[in-house]
Amino acid sequence: MNTSKKQRAASWQVIIVVLFVVYMILPIIATYIFSIATRWDRTILPEGYTFEGYREAIKNPYFFITLKNSLVLSVASVLVSLIVIVPTVYWVHMRLPGAKPLLDLLMILPFGIPGVVLALALVQVYNFAPINRSPILLTAATVVFTMPFMYRSVSNNLEAVDIPTLTEAAQSLGANLFNILTRVIIPNIFPGILSGSLLVFATVFAEFTLARLIVGAGFKTFPMLLVEYTRKDGTIAAGLSVISFSIAWIVSMLILWVSNKGIKSSKDVINAR
Amino acid sequence: MAYLELNDVSKKFNNIVAVNQFNLHIEKGQLVSFLGPSGCGKTTTLRMIAGFETPDAGTILLDGEDISKTAPNKRGIGMVFQAYALFPNMTIRENIMFGLKMQHKSKEEMAERTDNVLELVRLKDTAKRYPHQLSGGQQQRIALARALAIQPRVLLLDEPLSALDAEVRVVLRGEIRRIQSSLGITTVYVTHDQEEALSISDRVVVMNGGLIEQVGTPQEIYRKPDTRFVATFIGTANEFHGAVAENQTVNCEQINISTSRVADYTIGKKVVVLVRPENIEVFDERPVGSLNNLFEGEIDTITFHGAITRLGINSGGRMFTADVNITGRNALTHHQHVWLSFNSDYCQVMPEA
Repeated sequence: MNTSKKQRAASWQVIIVVLFVVYMILPIIATYIFSIATRWDRTILPEGYTFEGYREAIKNPYFFITLKNSLVLSVASVLVSLIVIVPTVYWVHMRLPGAKPLLDLLMILPFGIPGVVLALALVQVYNFAPINRSPILLTAATVVFTMPFMYRSVSNNLEAVDIPTLTEAAQSLGANLFNILTRVIIPNIFPGILSGSLLVFATVFAEFTLARLIVGAGFKTFPMLLVEYTRKDGTIAAGLSVISFSIAWIVSMLILWVSNKGIKSSKDVINAR
Repeated sequence: MAYLELNDVSKKFNNIVAVNQFNLHIEKGQLVSFLGPSGCGKTTTLRMIAGFETPDAGTILLDGEDISKTAPNKRGIGMVFQAYALFPNMTIRENIMFGLKMQHKSKEEMAERTDNVLELVRLKDTAKRYPHQLSGGQQQRIALARALAIQPRVLLLDEPLSALDAEVRVVLRGEIRRIQSSLGITTVYVTHDQEEALSISDRVVVMNGGLIEQVGTPQEIYRKPDTRFVATFIGTANEFHGAVAENQTVNCEQINISTSRVADYTIGKKVVVLVRPENIEVFDERPVGSLNNLFEGEIDTITFHGAITRLGINSGGRMFTADVNITGRNALTHHQHVWLSFNSDYCQVMPEA
């Protein structure tokens, strides 16, 4: 009686999990298949398969330019975000805990303001050379836009570790601010920094609205190329989507692999709690 | 000149006085503890010595040098925290070497000193492990080793045993004292546990409300408390309120207490007489001979504490607390009629506040 009840609960759980996975993965699989399909509107499965779409896409001179631009923009956003946010959040945690509610509130704003509004406002305010319509202004905008991701990840991690006491312990052992940050604080909040960086990278790499409105054709990004193709050729657009998705995935794996040591120590931090 | 001097040190937080005109001289090699209830300013004072707080007024001198405004990482002061504060991302060995790396010591010296302090806290085999793999007591010993590795000028301990089990606490406080005296390191120890303070200190500073109540050896603090706060905060005391009368007696309601300690007071002065429970003798029958301060009463409560048994005795509505050793005496029972007495030399007399 008891066991059958348990089994039924288990089968319900399996159904829910399967539905969820199908819901999440089906569009991605469909995109992958569409990108290599010859024709797929009269049959359940495509009539034939070809890599013609990818070949076409790579032939476009803009393919590598936009890829490079998007990578540069994403990496720059991650770096600026790290440099601006990590010390700020640390400082607020240590010295200005009263400012935390204000910071929490500020970090919700990017979610509340549509990208279009943010982009148009920035273009109006910074309408002077040399930053008007420049990639620098775009980077600044993407950093603001993705700030909550970095802030939340870092802030939650800071709260999980007793940062004030660790800081004082390091100080009493003769460490200056630089040593405290690089040897004690950053290694202990590395998991948060890492997940924040991944989120910022992936978001900026796929960002369209800000790039289109702030720099336009002057600094074409990969999503801009993708959107162009959606109007011309769905197969190529699907191919570009697959490439974009794969790059985000590869970069994630790469960062996780490079920082394997950091992950290990983060497990220690979690186990220590 | 003393090795560590605090002169008129004061500190306020949002206009609330945390430490007020604190004056203390600590000789080299001494272990001094700050004892008091929470909020008495003991931790704030310690943090000012460490440099984590800046005094609003007054100076802190270490070996003749004014360190009041020196950054904490330039003071050469070792600190042990209640929460251990070991770096979770480093092994035990790396934790201990951290301070030495900051001092740019040679590899050989770092290795040698690390081995030495690990030996000192008897945890040599943990060097390669991470902090979370150690018990609380072991982590705190490593924290002590880490603070000692830099050969600090002063060692500060901020309630180092508060997070540990009672058993570990007793063992570890003995260890701390052993290591402290073998190295001859000047140490300030903050605690709210009177037993801890009395058992390991050369001198105890009893604090209350940001002020020093008394500074003295553990014996002085216990036997000759300067203030009523000290007398009641340290150990237990029977309190009798009354006025000084002739013939070395104090007139309390209904009873007269004979004491040899009233010479300094004028007749009629309102005073409090304090008697420690262990100084009260309890008899099953009326003792022969003339005893001072002999009262009769009935046992109200019996609490077994192991080495001693604490009795609450009701004498005509007045409660006495007495500690007796039950080994080799007749069993005590509730409502038993007893006689109690205490020597007039064992009374502490202080003015009514």
